[in-house]
Amino acid sequence: MRDAFSKTLVRLAKADRNVLLITGDHGYALFDEFRRECPQQYINAGIAEQNMVGVAAGLARQGFRPFVYGLSAFVPVRVVEQIKLDVAHDNLPVVFIGDGAGFVYSHLGTSHQSTEDIACTRSIPNLSILSPSDRFEVEACMEAAYEAGAPIYFRMGKSDRGDVHSAGLPHPVRAIYELRPQANDGIAFFATGSFTKSALALAESHFSDAGVWSVPSIKPLDADAIVSICKKSTAAVVFEEHSIMGGLGAAISEVTSQHCPLPILRIGIEDRFSHYCGTYDYLLKEHGLDQEAIRGKISTFLEKAKPC
Amino acid sequence: MAPQPEKVFNPRQLRRTIIEMAYAGNTVHIGCAFSIVEILAVLYRQHLHFPGNEPKSPERDFLVLSKGHGVMAQYACMRELGWIGEKEVRGYFSDGSNLKGLSDSRVPGLEVTSGSLGHGFSVGVGMAMGAKLKGSDQKTYIVVGDGELNEGPIWEGALFASHQGLGNLMVIVDENGFQAMGRTREIMNLSSIQKKFEAFGFDAVTIDGHDEHALDEAINTLWAGDPKKPKAIVAKTVKGKGVAFMEDDNIWHYTRLNPQTYERAMFALRESDE
Repeated sequence: MRDAFSKTLVRLAKADRNVLLITGDHGYALFDEFRRECPQQYINAGIAEQNMVGVAAGLARQGFRPFVYGLSAFVPVRVVEQIKLDVAHDNLPVVFIGDGAGFVYSHLGTSHQSTEDIACTRSIPNLSILSPSDRFEVEACMEAAYEAGAPIYFRMGKSDRGDVHSAGLPHPVRAIYELRPQANDGIAFFATGSFTKSALALAESHFSDAGVWSVPSIKPLDADAIVSICKKSTAAVVFEEHSIMGGLGAAISEVTSQHCPLPILRIGIEDRFSHYCGTYDYLLKEHGLDQEAIRGKISTFLEKAKPC
Repeated sequence: MAPQPEKVFNPRQLRRTIIEMAYAGNTVHIGCAFSIVEILAVLYRQHLHFPGNEPKSPERDFLVLSKGHGVMAQYACMRELGWIGEKEVRGYFSDGSNLKGLSDSRVPGLEVTSGSLGHGFSVGVGMAMGAKLKGSDQKTYIVVGDGELNEGPIWEGALFASHQGLGNLMVIVDENGFQAMGRTREIMNLSSIQKKFEAFGFDAVTIDGHDEHALDEAINTLWAGDPKKPKAIVAKTVKGKGVAFMEDDNIWHYTRLNPQTYERAMFALRESDE
């Protein structure tokens, strides 16, 4: 997934010399190829994220196409106001790459973990949010981010959980993809980022009537598609490695509550920080997000859920 | 060469416009607009290039008002340029009007949205870097307040500008000695601003920010210096400068004009024309 990210960025930068990669002193090794192939388009802005975003806004005003890279705990969370005021207010073509979203830095604690970033950015006008689930979505979303010519938050989370698509995606990227067909009167699993793999696995193993959709575009959300799916579903479950507040689950709940109310279970991080550290899998378990715990939550939810 | 030879940018006239707008809009921030009048007058009259008098010309120089609270001083200059009209001056703050109480980049002639402090500085640094990368000779001037120097991104941007060798960038600090709640030396003492910018790799000078000749000379001298170093002018100013009863009194950051103070201010500004 990170390889697809790096290669796509190099390709975009070689095709358009106005593409600039600006990093807040992050991306060791990740950008080796970029620095080798496009050294004039690489700017390390130092450990100074607020200035980095302002500089990106100034460069965008001068006709450049900045891709601003940082860890998601810093870009966008540390610089939300700069994104709002310097970039989004003027609809400038700046792409913010937030890497390591969710619990990727499981041993490092709250400083580097990022489970609030979608909630922090989703209400900023003009800003779109892309959250790819595998390398194919990464490539398609990167191209979409470049072509949009508008502010984008590009969220990259746990990157080694394998593919959810079997092949590259036709251009242009769609906001939502069906990964697994739904049985009649079945339930709908919506998922984004690293948790799409979890949704697929649980549907295969325990919830055979569930359809699974990957949602790489959290904003704009394809509301029509979501409503259409939910109208055929008895209940929905939303999976994301993000707080249950303000993320994809919240976005889908906002849409369905108006157009097609149905019981929705939001699978994500409850309203709390991590207390302990450990492996990525340990941290998922600590937050009740390992496969077994999620399966239990869904089963309990479905027992109580009433169709709309 | 004077880019706008037909324009006078008379500081007293600019201050009258500020008073007119503040009175029409029943608004505040007079003191911090008054302190930058000569700075903006000299920039617009003698240094900023706007090909075709177009505020959005792609080849223009950039004036970034990072201390967005002083925006009425910029409106006053834009009025002289014909970029805003009498209707906008007299209708300042009327419902549905475009000119806000802080700098807004959607207004042609204003480069950044500021007021939340420490933003315009970095955007201006990015514009200067863009000009350098493009090989353009555009110059970027950033006007910041001394209180604004409390903000961390200013110093992030200063490090960056110096490291990137942005010799096309000039920062002008309006050192009026006040920030929102009182005197800067009592709230967050800045000590020598010039030494701070020098320590960050800038060529810097300190001058009287109301002396138009000194401002012009400092700008010319700095541009003639090391082409790889960003420049900084520390302009010592007086908040509320130009109307005696407003000078060096922070109350004019917050106070609205009434018919009496309006007349007194306009009278003082008329008097000093003669």
